[in-house]
Amino acid sequence: MLEINRVRKSFYGFLALDDVSLSVAPGSFHALVGPNGAGKTTLFNVVVGRYTPDSGEVKLAGRRITGWPTHRVVRSGLGISFQRAQAFLSMSVLENLTLAVLAQAGRTRAGMRPLASYDDARQRARQLLEWVGLAGRAREAAEALPLGDLKRVDIAMALAGDLQLLLLDEPLAGLSRRERREMVRFIEELLRGLGLTLLFTEHDTEAVLRLADRITVLHQGRVLAEGAPDEIKNDARVIEAFLGEADVAG
Amino acid sequence: MKARGWLLLVLGALLVTPWLLPDYALEVAIQALILALFATAFNLVFAETGLLSFGHAAFFGAGAYTTALLLQRAGWPYLLTLPAAVVVAGLLALVIGFFSVRTSRIYFTMLTLAFAQLVWAVVHKWYSFTGGDNGITGLHPGALWGDARALYYLALVLFALGLAFVWRLHHAPFGYALRAIRDNQARAEAVGLSPFGYLLAAFTLSGALAGAAGFLQVAWQRSAFPDFLYWTKSAEAIIAAILGGAEAIFGPALGSLVFVELGAFVQSRTEHWPLVLGLVLLALVLFLPQGLAGLGGRRARD
Repeated sequence: MLEINRVRKSFYGFLALDDVSLSVAPGSFHALVGPNGAGKTTLFNVVVGRYTPDSGEVKLAGRRITGWPTHRVVRSGLGISFQRAQAFLSMSVLENLTLAVLAQAGRTRAGMRPLASYDDARQRARQLLEWVGLAGRAREAAEALPLGDLKRVDIAMALAGDLQLLLLDEPLAGLSRRERREMVRFIEELLRGLGLTLLFTEHDTEAVLRLADRITVLHQGRVLAEGAPDEIKNDARVIEAFLGEADVAG
Repeated sequence: MKARGWLLLVLGALLVTPWLLPDYALEVAIQALILALFATAFNLVFAETGLLSFGHAAFFGAGAYTTALLLQRAGWPYLLTLPAAVVVAGLLALVIGFFSVRTSRIYFTMLTLAFAQLVWAVVHKWYSFTGGDNGITGLHPGALWGDARALYYLALVLFALGLAFVWRLHHAPFGYALRAIRDNQARAEAVGLSPFGYLLAAFTLSGALAGAAGFLQVAWQRSAFPDFLYWTKSAEAIIAAILGGAEAIFGPALGSLVFVELGAFVQSRTEHWPLVLGLVLLALVLFLPQGLAGLGGRRARD
C-alpha cells in the first residue's frame, strides 16, 4: 500500500535518512520505532509531503507521491493524525469533522451554502464521531475538550477521507495511563474492524508489540531491522543497538 | 427571532435615515457607509484568516481610480464603472496577494504595506495618466451626482450586499476552511486544504469588495485623489474593525459608523481629533478588547 524506496534526506550535511526502504502491506499494522533522533519524524514528514527527499521515492497505492504537497497527498488517500492532538479550536467538534469530510473530498472551494446544510457530510461526521466515541460531544467547542478527546477528534479527522493508509504519529503520547489503555483498545477494535492499513510510530513498547503486525526499527537514519514483533524482540542487532535503553522500541 | 427583529429595526432605521437627516449629516452618513463597506472588506481577510493587511488602500484606490478614469476619459455612465472597479481592484489584490499570502504575520503586514505604498507612489507621480498629486477632479456625470439621497441608497445597497456576501462566506465551507487555516495550518493541510489557494482567494475577494467602496468614494467626492491609496486609508479600515470588533460580522460597520460620526462631531469642535481618537482606541483596547460588538456578548459573530 505504501512503498518507500531508498529515501535519503539530509539537513545541512547531517544525514537524517540514509537509504531507507519500507513497505507497508495492505491491511497491515506497521510500526516504525527507534530512539529519538533515529529519523522517524523525518520519514513521517517525507511521507506526508513536508520534506522532499534528496533521492528515492514514495508510492501510495502504486502512485508516486514524492514531493507532493501535504494537501494533495491527503486527498489521494492518506489520513494523518499528529503526535500533538490538533483540531480547529474556533469550531465545534461536529464542525471540525464536517469540514474534514468536505475538505478531503475537495468540496470546500465552491458554493455559498452554509456548512450546516451539507447533510451528507454531517451524517458522515456524526458516524466518525460515533466511531471514536464522541457522538455525545458533537456540539461542544473543540477548545473545551480534554487532551484525550482532542486526540480522538484528531484521529476521526484523519479517518474522514477515502483512505488508503492511515498515519498515526505517537498516538499514545501525552495520554494518561487509562487513556492509553483506551486508545490501544480503540486502535485495535476500530481500525482493525475497518480493515485499514496503518503506519504508526510509538514509544510505548508494550503497545507496539501488541498492535503491530510488522515493525521497522530505525537507528541513526538507517533501517536496522524489519520483521514480525517476535523476530524484532529477539533480534540480536536490535538488542545490541538498544542495550542500555529501557525498552526495545525505545 | 430576536436577532431578526433587531436586523429589521436597523434596516428600517437605515432606510428612513436620508429623510430625517439634514444635508451635512447625510453626507457624513454616506461616508460612514462607504467606510463600513471598506472595513467589512478588510475584515474578510483579517477576521477569517488572521492576516492583518496594511495595504487595502491600494484596492480602495484602484476601484476609485478605475471609476474616475472611465468617467473622465471614456465617458462611461457611473454605474457601469462598478464592475470594472471591482475587477481591477480584485486583479490588483490577486497580484499583491500572490506575493504576500505565502508570508506570515508581520511579514504579510509589511509586504502589503510596501506594495500599497508602491502603487500610491506610481499614482502620485504619474501626472499624464492619474493626474498625479492633483488627482482627478471635476467629474460631472449622470443624474446621481446632485442627489445625496440616491447616493446614500446606492451605498446602502452595496454595503448590504457586501455584508451579506461576507456573512454567507463565513458560514459556507469556504469560510470554515479559512478559519481552519487560521486556527492550525498544519492540521488544515492534513485534512486536504491548500492554504495558499484559500488565502489568495480570500485576499482577492476582499480586495474586489474594497474596490466597490472606492467606486462609491468617487461619487461622494466627485474626485479621486492619491490619498485614497495612502497607508492612512488602510489604517482607517483597521481602526474601524478594531473599534467595532473584528470578531463580529457587523463589527467593522459599527466601528465605521462611530469612527466617522465621532470624527465629524469632534472635528466640528476642535482640531485635536487624532488625540481624541487615540484616547478612544486606548480605552477600547484596555477595557473592551473585543470592540464595541463585545458589549453584545460572545455570539455576535453569528
